[in-house]
Amino acid sequence: MTLSAFLAQIPWLSLLIILPLTGALLCMLCDPRERTSRWLALVTTHLILAIAIGLFLLQGQVSPENGWLWYEDAAWIERFGIRFTLAMDGISLLLVLLTAFLQTVAVLMSWQTERHPSMFFALVLLLEAGIMGIFLAVDLVLFYMFWEIMIIPMFFLIGIWGHARRRYAALKFFLYTLAGSLTMLIALIALYLLHGEQTGSYTFALAELAQTQLTAGQEFWLFLGFMAAFAVKTPLVPFHTWLPDAHTEAPIAGTIDLTGLLLKTGVYGMIRVAFPLFPAATRDALPVLAFLALVGIFHAAWSAYRQDDVKRLFAYASISHLGLVVLGLAAWQTTAWTGSLLLLPAHGITTGGLFVIIAMIRRRTDTRSMRELGGLWGKAPNLSAMFLLFALASLGLPGLANFAGEILVLLGTFQTQPVWACLAFLGVVFAAAYMLRMVQNTLWGPPADDREIADLTPREWLILLPMAILTVWLGLYPAPFLAPLQEPVQLLLGGMP
Amino acid sequence: MIVPLAHVLALAAAVFVLGLACAVMRRQLIMILIGVEIMLNAAALVMVGASAYWQQADGQVMVVLLMAVTASEVAVALAMVFYLRHRQGTIEADRFDRMQG
Amino acid sequence: MSETLLFLIPLLPLSCALANLLFGMRLPRLFAETLAVSGVAGATLLTLLFWDYAAGEGTRAVLATWLASGDVNVAFALHFDKLAAPMTLMVTGVATLIHLYAVGYMRQEQDYARFFTLLNLFVFAMLAIVLADNLLVLFLGWEGVGLCSYALIGFWYRDKNNARAGTKAFLVTRVGDVFLGIALLWLFALTGTLSISEINAQAAALAPGTVLALTLLLLLGACGKSAQLPLMTWLADAMAGPTPVSALIHAATMVTAGVYLLCRLFPLVSLSAAGMTAIAAVGALTALYAATCAMAQREIKRVLAYSTMSQVGYMFMAVGAGTVSGAMFHLFTHAFFKALLFMAAGCLIHLAGEENDIFRMGGLARRGPPELFWVFLAGAVCLAGMPLTGGFFSKDAVLLALFSHADPVYRVFWLVGVLTALLTAFYTFRLTYLVFAGEPRGAGHPHPVTWLMRWPLWPLALIGLAGGILNLPALVGGSERLQHWLGSLAGRQPSVSHQLEWQLIALAALLVLAGWAAAHWRYRAYRPPLDNRTARFLLQGWRTDQLVDLVVVRPFDAMARLIYIGADRALIDGTLKGLSHFTATCGGMVRRLTTGRLSTYLSAFAWGFLLILGWVLLALVARGGGH
Repeated sequence: MTLSAFLAQIPWLSLLIILPLTGALLCMLCDPRERTSRWLALVTTHLILAIAIGLFLLQGQVSPENGWLWYEDAAWIERFGIRFTLAMDGISLLLVLLTAFLQTVAVLMSWQTERHPSMFFALVLLLEAGIMGIFLAVDLVLFYMFWEIMIIPMFFLIGIWGHARRRYAALKFFLYTLAGSLTMLIALIALYLLHGEQTGSYTFALAELAQTQLTAGQEFWLFLGFMAAFAVKTPLVPFHTWLPDAHTEAPIAGTIDLTGLLLKTGVYGMIRVAFPLFPAATRDALPVLAFLALVGIFHAAWSAYRQDDVKRLFAYASISHLGLVVLGLAAWQTTAWTGSLLLLPAHGITTGGLFVIIAMIRRRTDTRSMRELGGLWGKAPNLSAMFLLFALASLGLPGLANFAGEILVLLGTFQTQPVWACLAFLGVVFAAAYMLRMVQNTLWGPPADDREIADLTPREWLILLPMAILTVWLGLYPAPFLAPLQEPVQLLLGGMP
Repeated sequence: MIVPLAHVLALAAAVFVLGLACAVMRRQLIMILIGVEIMLNAAALVMVGASAYWQQADGQVMVVLLMAVTASEVAVALAMVFYLRHRQGTIEADRFDRMQG
Repeated sequence: MSETLLFLIPLLPLSCALANLLFGMRLPRLFAETLAVSGVAGATLLTLLFWDYAAGEGTRAVLATWLASGDVNVAFALHFDKLAAPMTLMVTGVATLIHLYAVGYMRQEQDYARFFTLLNLFVFAMLAIVLADNLLVLFLGWEGVGLCSYALIGFWYRDKNNARAGTKAFLVTRVGDVFLGIALLWLFALTGTLSISEINAQAAALAPGTVLALTLLLLLGACGKSAQLPLMTWLADAMAGPTPVSALIHAATMVTAGVYLLCRLFPLVSLSAAGMTAIAAVGALTALYAATCAMAQREIKRVLAYSTMSQVGYMFMAVGAGTVSGAMFHLFTHAFFKALLFMAAGCLIHLAGEENDIFRMGGLARRGPPELFWVFLAGAVCLAGMPLTGGFFSKDAVLLALFSHADPVYRVFWLVGVLTALLTAFYTFRLTYLVFAGEPRGAGHPHPVTWLMRWPLWPLALIGLAGGILNLPALVGGSERLQHWLGSLAGRQPSVSHQLEWQLIALAALLVLAGWAAAHWRYRAYRPPLDNRTARFLLQGWRTDQLVDLVVVRPFDAMARLIYIGADRALIDGTLKGLSHFTATCGGMVRRLTTGRLSTYLSAFAWGFLLILGWVLLALVARGGGH
């Protein structure tokens, strides 16, 4: 048996979900033994990262099956036509890689969690299982199940381990996302029934449901049902107000997962589920989507400019960036789409890095308020330099991660919708305005007080260095990440004119 | 069948209304329980009558089951009433309103 | 393969920057300094070594693919041609001297590794602009110089004002960058490529309206970096940075990037006559505006900053008049003498005991080493345009091109240029007299000026004075070397009679002498500064800062408040809060039904039973009736 045949037999995709689930279970079981659960979580996340990197390196080595890089299918609830189908193409590959990477960061950053660490790590791993599932499922029920699985651990992570207003934030997050996902559930069942009536085969398989013949009215309402869930998660203005509260109140692991991964599930849902299922409605909705995206870019940038809490500022910056991503999707053009999809990991890493650093600063100074910070460069130059690096990446400096995605989005968008692209480019100045204001108030100026603070510890270096390297790598040589995107993007766009 | 079904049903209805009136009007838990029992008996009566009318054993089987369930239910209910009387010193039904929304 | 070696020119400073970033503080100071200087000096030597690659159409080199997706395919590519080569040599050469000077200037600075990292990084970014083969690499350098300028202006970050000046510079230039960025997007959409030479080749096929719009966008982009109206407010504040930074970034290189950009895309830009007029108009307005401001400034570096702005305005006028060689000629001579002036100013500030105010300097001719006076004077006469100096020839070339332009509106620009020349001579000699003449007025204790700070001034002084030979007009027996070197890239050349040319030269010389005479009369003996409304108005740069504050900053703030407090908090969150409140109220009302009393439930149960019973009966009756 050759190596590639052997590798092809292992259910890698299921492993990506089962591993974190098992890890979560084990963490729960070894409840009082904190050290064990900590290491268990670390080992699990690293194993997953290893698998994800392995899959990335092996793409193309194993012969693709029905157009996917990897594909697994098993019977599940036959009576209702629900199957356990997982599939991976270039887009999911990139997002799985990002998930695996950011989870290791999240675990490392929560190393010193004091309250119920076993439970904490169990929830973090459960969350990872849910997110992986979303990025891999191509059966709608499976997708929906993972969608809900993802919400619950996040609710508890915010509600139990969060900061001062954690209960408010957790409830707001839960209600918002639940409202969205319920409309999705209704639309999903309606689509299932419609398809069953038409063809006689009751199935939840995404590819088959896409063949359903729908009237314009049906398509519109079903599309709206799905988009409600995805618009809340992305988030599109005006469905975004859960995000700043959730980001600000969540513990750092939760914030990393929120910004780095949860927001991406919304975008992923659009391109994997909503757009292919309802092509005609999508085409009609593109201008609306673009409008909301543009409003979002400026609304969030202006809101960010008003913030005093640095973490809240980054939350609004996230909304602004995701607006650009959605704009790229609305342009309906290959270059713009690949740019949007490249922007997802870029944003995950740079904004994740910013959140990580502000958490480190808070541990040292007990504050995140710009009024109380200041002159950090003089006290902790290495930490500040890293901060500046991620801030610059976030404001779109060429050569760093975000720029590569942004310029592709803009180049692509300009070809179909020049005015949108020009307006979006203006957002770049806005990004500079709020980011530089933040840098000015935290890093520069005289030291805020006489307290000495420590510079980066070895563990913090360990967390930040890979992120910094990836930020530069994505900015200067994004080719390995752009290559796997080309084919699926053309496939997704090809179905429609 | 000697007695026509209509008569049985009329009697059962009368008994049921009596039981309902008892359960609704009386304030003491014991009396309410008795009212419930009377209503159950009215239901049992209907089943027996129907069973006899259609010459089917199902109704009688049901009644036997009903009697067993009633017996156990009364046993539990009386025990609870006794316990409540012990704790609160009263079996006035409206005094137990802590389950309000 | 060997053309890939051209990448060594920008990558050498970059690698030295990285080395200094990573190890600078752990190495002996001398080593870090040597590293920084050798990076730039190496780049200079490499430029000379590879000079022949510039011959003909120049040499193109590709390092690696940067972005390839869909229809976009952009590589890290550079183009070493006849325009880029002299610019590269100027940038690296001047930067080398400034680096040497900086070693002396920053002797006391503890955080030297950061300084030299940023300085080297700046040179890298500037070289990326100069050598870029496509617009995206140019944009990389464009933003890179902006970043380095930001970080270096705010180098002494402990003072909030320094950092604020840096932020201002970054933001204002970024506004310009947006226009450049939009031009980039548009050009890509039109031509399907980002390569500069291909865009230039395809430019002729574009519609005239499009070309005009593109030219205006590029102009606005150039205005941001080159501190031209209306994006000029940052340059004077940028003087908060260390003096070597002012010399390198805000005199010799970055501020001329806008001019270089327009020259690079000249085949495109020159297609639109209206666009060219706009470029010349911006240049003329800025030149005059900045010259008037310079006349009233009190800080030595601010005088020089405004004069830089004004001189860059001349370069814009030259581009607008269609002469690339004239613009580049003035760019080069200006780079030499302005870097010299800034570095000399740094020495003078040291000598005066960290005193910036020229009204509190005085008598420095006798106080410090006499050579300082002479090199400063060399720079000053170049700036003023004293006949036979480099500045004289280059400025004269610009004025001649303006005068000889067919369009009559260029005569107006020429007049503005002539007037500005007069003002320039005046404020330059005002500065010289105030600083050197008379008795010392300041109380500051003089700091020593090391030899490392003095000797890099000499080469610059010599090149500045003799800069005319770069492009000596045929009129005085020159060979117009730069113009011939640039060949087809040189743009339109003025053709006027020798007699008229002599007359113009005579006029220019007269103006300089008039300016000098006025300054001599006013400032030979010290007189305190005027403090009337006009002087204050000019001192504050025509109050443009307040204007920008009123028109841009405050509306932006107000909008942010409106959006965040009004829309985000009040409208959206308020609506949601209202919704949740409504739900809670409804729940509260329904809640009252559950009294918790058994009797209520039982009677409700009974009534419900009756209701259902009644309904069933009614239905039965209705059915019976139906039959």
